[in-house]
Amino acid sequence: MAYKAPMKRSWWLQHAAFRRYMLREATVLPLVFALCCLLAGLWSLQTSAQFHAWQQFMAQPWVVAFNLLALVGALYHALTFFQLFPRVMPIRLGEKQVPAALMVVAQWLGVVAVLLAMLWLATSGVLGAWQ
Amino acid sequence: MSEQRFVQVEVVRYLPENKTPEKDEPFSQFFEVPYTESTSILDALQYIKEELDSSLSFRWSCRMAICGSCGFMVNGTPKLGCKDFLRNYPNGVRIAPLAHFTVERDLMVNMEEFLVHLEAVQPFLVEEQQAKAQGVQKYTETYQQTPAQLAKYKQFSNCINCGLCYAACPQFGLNPEFIGPGALALAHRYNLDSRDHGKAQRMKVLNGHNGVWSCTFVGFCSDVCPKKVDPAAAVNQGKVESAKSMLIQMFKGNS
Ligand code: SF4
Ligand code: FES
Repeated sequence: MAYKAPMKRSWWLQHAAFRRYMLREATVLPLVFALCCLLAGLWSLQTSAQFHAWQQFMAQPWVVAFNLLALVGALYHALTFFQLFPRVMPIRLGEKQVPAALMVVAQWLGVVAVLLAMLWLATSGVLGAWQ
Repeated sequence: MSEQRFVQVEVVRYLPENKTPEKDEPFSQFFEVPYTESTSILDALQYIKEELDSSLSFRWSCRMAICGSCGFMVNGTPKLGCKDFLRNYPNGVRIAPLAHFTVERDLMVNMEEFLVHLEAVQPFLVEEQQAKAQGVQKYTETYQQTPAQLAKYKQFSNCINCGLCYAACPQFGLNPEFIGPGALALAHRYNLDSRDHGKAQRMKVLNGHNGVWSCTFVGFCSDVCPKKVDPAAAVNQGKVESAKSMLIQMFKGNS
């Protein structure tokens, strides 16, 4: 006496909002690849021959392309995450709430700060001196 | 006077009495409906019922987005019929019953499926109930609350129980036992209320298999909410609370 529509396997194709959600979730795939590359790099540090082979592998155009895709994916995921964060952990000062836009900007500033720190580490020679 | 135009309205209908052993499915019916700048989706349905086909069934009451009974899928997106307008769909519109619910007839769905979840989170001030049970007259006293205490939960108290967020939630579609956005938002609303003492009981439901952790932050529920409750935010703030309460349980050793 009643009808229940079945949930199709393709439900996530039915609406733009669901397609955006699936895109966000799918960014994990190229990220897993980039992570595997990094782990392989760490493992290859054992001998110089291995490290050389790893460098050659990493220089292949398709590997570079996948890693670029991972970078774009990570940035897109960060964008969505930073926007959601103020809604999940709102900071309240008395009756007022810290504006979401301010928290989003603060998170991106954090990213820039980390990037600059890495750049400094790579270029300043601190790591070389440490060896 | 604004000029009158016509638009094609497709209505997805379901008549349980037409059921045959081979076929028990909804069907589409098409109508030409005149509209002006101010014709709502609900007005269109009422025009169809009065002028074209009186057998059409749908729910409505307030026509001002406060009773929450006129939820439909409008071109695939959950909307309140009285808050959405034909002028937004000059190329035609498809009106279907709310997704993920069982259809009883035409555009009427079984809201019981949402109400059982609502009941499960005790969406009321629990101390009041306890006081009544103990024969204490405390509930007759005036509750006092500062503006700051009110601000904590005010946004989440605007829910009108329309169920649009359930029609927008694929997790509810996949698992009808999931407590769902609207009820979890109300659970959070009462947990944040300084007058309430029912958080411990509600956390049992929130921590459970069909509680907050069934949510994957699709976020569409908040997009469709006609009252800007932001249920997705409430559910995910609920995850923070749930993680805290589970940690505390772990240290107490009675997980
Ligand atoms: S949270 Fe919003 S969409 Fe969900 S039932 Fe309440 S008012 Fe409707
Ligand atoms: S008729 Fe009451 S919300 Fe639309």
